[in-house]
Amino acid sequence: MKKLTALLLALVMTFGMVACGSKTNETTTTPSTGDTSNTDTTDTGDTGDTPTEDTGSGETLYIPVMAKGFQHAYWQAVKQGADQAAEELGVEIYFAGPASETNIDEQVNMVKTELAKNPKAMALAALSTDSVTEILAECAEKNIPVIGFDSGVPGDTTGAVKATAATDNEAAAAIAAEKFGENETVVAAMQNATSDAPIVIGCLSQDAVSASVTGRTTGFVNKMAEIAETYQPGKVSIEGHTTWEKKVENPAIIIRVEVSATTEATSLQTSASALLGMEGITAIFCSNEGAVTGFLAATSDGSDLGEGGKYEGLVVAGFDAGSAQKNAVRNGWFIGSVTQDPVQIGYQAVALAVAAANGEEVADVDTGAKWYDATNIDDPDMATLVYD
Amino acid sequence: MDKLGTKKLDMQKLLAPAALVILYIFFSIIGNNFLTFDTLKNILESSYYIGFMAFGVTFVIIAGGIDLSIGTVMMASALLGAYTFKQHDWPLVASLILTVGVGTVFGLLNGGLIAKLKLPPFIATLGTMMMAQGAGSIITNVQSQTWPTATEPVGGWFKPVFIRSELLGAKNFPVGAIWLIAFFIIAALILHKTKFGRYNYAIGSNEEAARLSGINTDNWKVGIYTLCGAFCGMAGIFYAAAYTTITPGTGNGQELNAIAGVVIGGTSMSGGAGSMVGTIIGVFIMSVLKNGLSACGLQNHWQTFFTGVVVIGAVLLDIQRTKAANRVKKG
Repeated sequence: MKKLTALLLALVMTFGMVACGSKTNETTTTPSTGDTSNTDTTDTGDTGDTPTEDTGSGETLYIPVMAKGFQHAYWQAVKQGADQAAEELGVEIYFAGPASETNIDEQVNMVKTELAKNPKAMALAALSTDSVTEILAECAEKNIPVIGFDSGVPGDTTGAVKATAATDNEAAAAIAAEKFGENETVVAAMQNATSDAPIVIGCLSQDAVSASVTGRTTGFVNKMAEIAETYQPGKVSIEGHTTWEKKVENPAIIIRVEVSATTEATSLQTSASALLGMEGITAIFCSNEGAVTGFLAATSDGSDLGEGGKYEGLVVAGFDAGSAQKNAVRNGWFIGSVTQDPVQIGYQAVALAVAAANGEEVADVDTGAKWYDATNIDDPDMATLVYD
Repeated sequence: MDKLGTKKLDMQKLLAPAALVILYIFFSIIGNNFLTFDTLKNILESSYYIGFMAFGVTFVIIAGGIDLSIGTVMMASALLGAYTFKQHDWPLVASLILTVGVGTVFGLLNGGLIAKLKLPPFIATLGTMMMAQGAGSIITNVQSQTWPTATEPVGGWFKPVFIRSELLGAKNFPVGAIWLIAFFIIAALILHKTKFGRYNYAIGSNEEAARLSGINTDNWKVGIYTLCGAFCGMAGIFYAAAYTTITPGTGNGQELNAIAGVVIGGTSMSGGAGSMVGTIIGVFIMSVLKNGLSACGLQNHWQTFFTGVVVIGAVLLDIQRTKAANRVKKG
């Protein structure tokens, strides 16, 4: 029995030792190339594959990057960007996230463990701001700058969060409005619209509460109204939800915001059907993956938009990705969709953390968004951004 | 013969604490910043709630039963406590009492189903495990609930009282450890020094024999499960103190952390043998392992893997021990 215990302990330790050893080797291969304070994100192609000799410079900067998830394709893209930045800036990062977005305790434990290592800076996408408040207070006290990324750390009052690398949702959704403004069908419809036969441009959103979805709705509605005004000055009416409402008499172009009753797919499907049934419906923008799912459910998985379909000729754009949406884009049922840039989110999170660790002033960074359509969806650059 | 038996037992009692100390030293040497107050605090804080669940389920396992509902019952208790405090403006004390109460009621339900209605413990507690998870979601309407943080004007004393506060010169003194030790002593006294504890062992060794010798086994079993439930309610308080936000629909799998701790501590799954000291050490072995491996830069899946290795090792030891004990008896 003694033997068994000894064996067991030895086993655990050997494993631990081997695993730790391999881990250290793996992560310390990035040599510190002197000045690490350069945070310019100029040429991402230049990865500087000149392994400088160990000049005995100080310790490599260590930055934990605490995500909200890990195995999802989206987070893998974030990690890819973070790794890229770490390599370019010559720092060591530890990218980790809980197994699911409900595992708040797992994330809290992770962040605590990392904080115990006294890092110079930390990047964090918090699952719950309340749960990490005390940890953030400790960071503020120890002068460990925290960089928010992805959804960041909303409502932080401790002052530990110095900057956030996230998508500017308003700007991102405006891309879709611009694409509508360039689309021949929509342009022709806007030109020919009259007060007797007004056209409708719809925006399907899953709620009017969450920051990202409301931001996208605002961004789309404002940009779309701006473009529509150039064709029908004074005759553009925004209707549907009180948050965005700006009604005018006898409109020629109606921008209709349809907000679903709940975030359930069936409820979004009902809202999508309501939009589709409107007289003069010309174009529809779905502001997130949930809205797209509901919309596709209302259009026989999108096939009603195809040739000979019930809604052939309707111009549709989406947001985010997911296999159903990618399928719709690939088939040309959607003119295209907007996607966030998770690689940039990861890259900027690390870049900002390095800058903050070096005592530089940092400010929020818009990590941008990209437009994808049938022509570029399978490009290698795009493929990493549009997850299944 | 007797002498041999006690000697063996003493050695076994030392195995678990020795393993804990060796692991701690090992990680102090190899880990990054492991031997610090912060890390110790982290180890403690992630152990409180598992410890409370483990205390409760130790009684049940020694009585030859099992309780799979402890994880979700803990979450349901914490959810309801937070729900009444935040949504219905209950005084924090009332919410805390409710938290323990919810756990106790589920424990009573388990006991009734198992002792009175003769359901197998595995099935009965599997059912209540789902019921607790569902009940939490139903009552809170599937909304996350938060307990007060230290800076909140109402209930700001929650965290300083239960998890950490400025005390004895330390800014983040782990007060939770005092609670854990206090309830460890209470649990150990109940198990080792009272009639309740003696009957607990008797039921676990041979329920039929205990019944024939005049013990009302059914009533005592109800008591054992109810006590386990009360400990789960308390675990809910310490989970809330450590993690603040409680998400409905979680808690599955937490019971296995507690049961693993009990098993590592040398309590036999077949009942009749085990100790509270073993349980608390088992719980800490797991926490040290988890924190130590992440101090080495290894991710969660490694921690889970090694915990699995340790659980299997501990059960192997248990089998060896039973064999040895039987040999002694026969000899």
